[in-house]
Amino acid sequence: MTFRSTLAALALAAGFAAPALALDAGTYKVGFVTDNTGPLAFAGTSFTRGAELAAEQISGGGYMAVGAKIELVQKEGAGDAARSIQSYNQLIADRNVIATACCILSPIAGAIKPIALNNKVPLVIYGATAPGLPSLPFVYSVTGLPGPAEVAMSKHIAEVAKPKTVAYFVLSDNEAFQGRFKASQAAMEAAGAKTLGVVSVLSADTDFTAAATQAIALKPDLMMVYTTQSPAAGIIAAVRARGWAGLMSANDAISPLAVFKKIGPPLAGVPFPVNFSADASETPKAKGFIEAYTAKFGAAPDLYSAQGYTAIWLIAQGLKSLPGKPSREALATALNKITELEHDVYGGLPMTNGQAGTRYTLFLNWTPDGKIAAWKP
Amino acid sequence: MDLFLAQLLNGCALGALYGLFGIGFGLVFATMGILNAAQGAYASWAAIIAMYAIELAGLPFPLAALAGIAAGGAVAVLVDQLGFEPLRRFGPGNHQAAMLGALITSIAFWIMLDSAAGLMTGQQSLAFPPGSYPATVFQIGPLLLPAMQAVSLLALAVVGGGMHWLNTRTRFGAAMRAVGWDPVAAALGGVNSRVIVVATAGLAGGISGLAGILAGISTANISAGLGQGLMLKGFAAVVVGGYDDIRGTAIAGLLLGVLEVFCAQYLSSSWRDAFAYALLLGFLMLRPRGLFGGGGFTRA
Repeated sequence: MTFRSTLAALALAAGFAAPALALDAGTYKVGFVTDNTGPLAFAGTSFTRGAELAAEQISGGGYMAVGAKIELVQKEGAGDAARSIQSYNQLIADRNVIATACCILSPIAGAIKPIALNNKVPLVIYGATAPGLPSLPFVYSVTGLPGPAEVAMSKHIAEVAKPKTVAYFVLSDNEAFQGRFKASQAAMEAAGAKTLGVVSVLSADTDFTAAATQAIALKPDLMMVYTTQSPAAGIIAAVRARGWAGLMSANDAISPLAVFKKIGPPLAGVPFPVNFSADASETPKAKGFIEAYTAKFGAAPDLYSAQGYTAIWLIAQGLKSLPGKPSREALATALNKITELEHDVYGGLPMTNGQAGTRYTLFLNWTPDGKIAAWKP
Repeated sequence: MDLFLAQLLNGCALGALYGLFGIGFGLVFATMGILNAAQGAYASWAAIIAMYAIELAGLPFPLAALAGIAAGGAVAVLVDQLGFEPLRRFGPGNHQAAMLGALITSIAFWIMLDSAAGLMTGQQSLAFPPGSYPATVFQIGPLLLPAMQAVSLLALAVVGGGMHWLNTRTRFGAAMRAVGWDPVAAALGGVNSRVIVVATAGLAGGISGLAGILAGISTANISAGLGQGLMLKGFAAVVVGGYDDIRGTAIAGLLLGVLEVFCAQYLSSSWRDAFAYALLLGFLMLRPRGLFGGGGFTRA
């Protein structure tokens, strides 16, 4: 074989092989069930905005391949199971939708999961926190389970504040919060903090004066709140309005600025664990995300924005690893191989059996003037 | 004992909101024969307008509350004239068919008003700015009474007493009752039914609006869904109290609030609503006219 023919053969081989190594240029549709209206809209808009920013950055930066873009196809679920399922079915009916993302509420995520599995569509859950939702190779969750972070915070509080007695506020109609409460209660009791009582509230409750009175009457050293955002904010406001100034703790639900705007200074000094905060996250990728988000939407991102953002980056990372024009099944297989997210705002986001986990937890609180700072008792 | 009394007070304050809302709801039902599903939306709208009157216009709380009440009344009149008046004029002569038509119309307005309220709040749960309303906590012996709980109780007493007086001691009240009984006969007797209906709608909307504003403060929650909780409990208060008796509605509202709070305190919060609606069911089965209701009764 002459030098010229060898060169020609190599060029020919390269010509065939090169496209097979990279993702084809074009637009890849990602179905996104939003909760921009309804009872979860306070968080839903943040998830959507985070996802929109991710799609824009991935498409503009050529992350997956030159000319490869992500188009977010949004359908509203309104925090309602029936409507979310209907929207999801509409999304996956379009064969050009290669992957999907959904769900703030665990029961809705649990209802959509079998649809994704039956239709062999990759589904990334961006908000629901119940354990056991991922199902390989099709269903993934980018929301770090809050339980471990809350247990870590419980241990931290027990160590530095040394409460001897604790009263708990718990959602009695939410299994995930029941589990989280029990894990923290076990940690507190192991540290010697006795449980004085558990005040049950419901997700749809809006008046917490009676619940606050009940907890205050127990005279605990510490009150711990295990509820979703609106009840958590309402409980803290009601307890403080009744003059109780003792130590309270809550969860990441009270971290968005909207909660402080609503409740104000009574929220100050209540610690909560988070793995992302626009005021406290300092990795370069987190700072880049905060800057871009603020520039695009005129407000800093919250933890929900970060989760929506992460969901789309996970899908993009899966697509990036595939050649040509991948199928849904091929993308699912690729997602299954991801052990660490390349683009994350948490300072490391390992994926284990489809479930994201974070390496770092921040213990923060609101200051009376509406800033977020590291919590000190 | 202190806890019992504190929870009794909490229950009464919560029940005052149910009673207040129920008075507005019952007024429409008694005068116009409409089971108005949109009534809850008036409460939401009043709270939203009052909040923005503070936030955007910088009004002090009493003026903002008045603005909210006026808005609740205005929305109620608008719904009545756009939705119910054509039914009164051109609707079916059959009474039950007319009631069903009004109910469906009110559901349509409820959904539209809630959707618009969602846009107004950016689909968020908002609250009155901290410090914009009375937040003093009074100490009465061992009991703590937040100022807004006192305001709620006072509002129920004033509105309940005032409406009872208006209904039973004034010509306007007599005209309202006459229209409620038979609008045609009332018109033949010289009552301008349309004026009475519009005034009643405005009054009912304003009272429900006041309940919404007070509920928005006491729960730190102003959203499109604010009125829905009041709606169900207000309806229960009307049925338990007697649909045409304001005293009954006020007392039933208090009873529901106390029952709800005691249930959560001494039994379980999970059973709270079940007990409230069991009470409603019990009254519907055993005493459908309610605590003080008259004999004439038409079910929706």
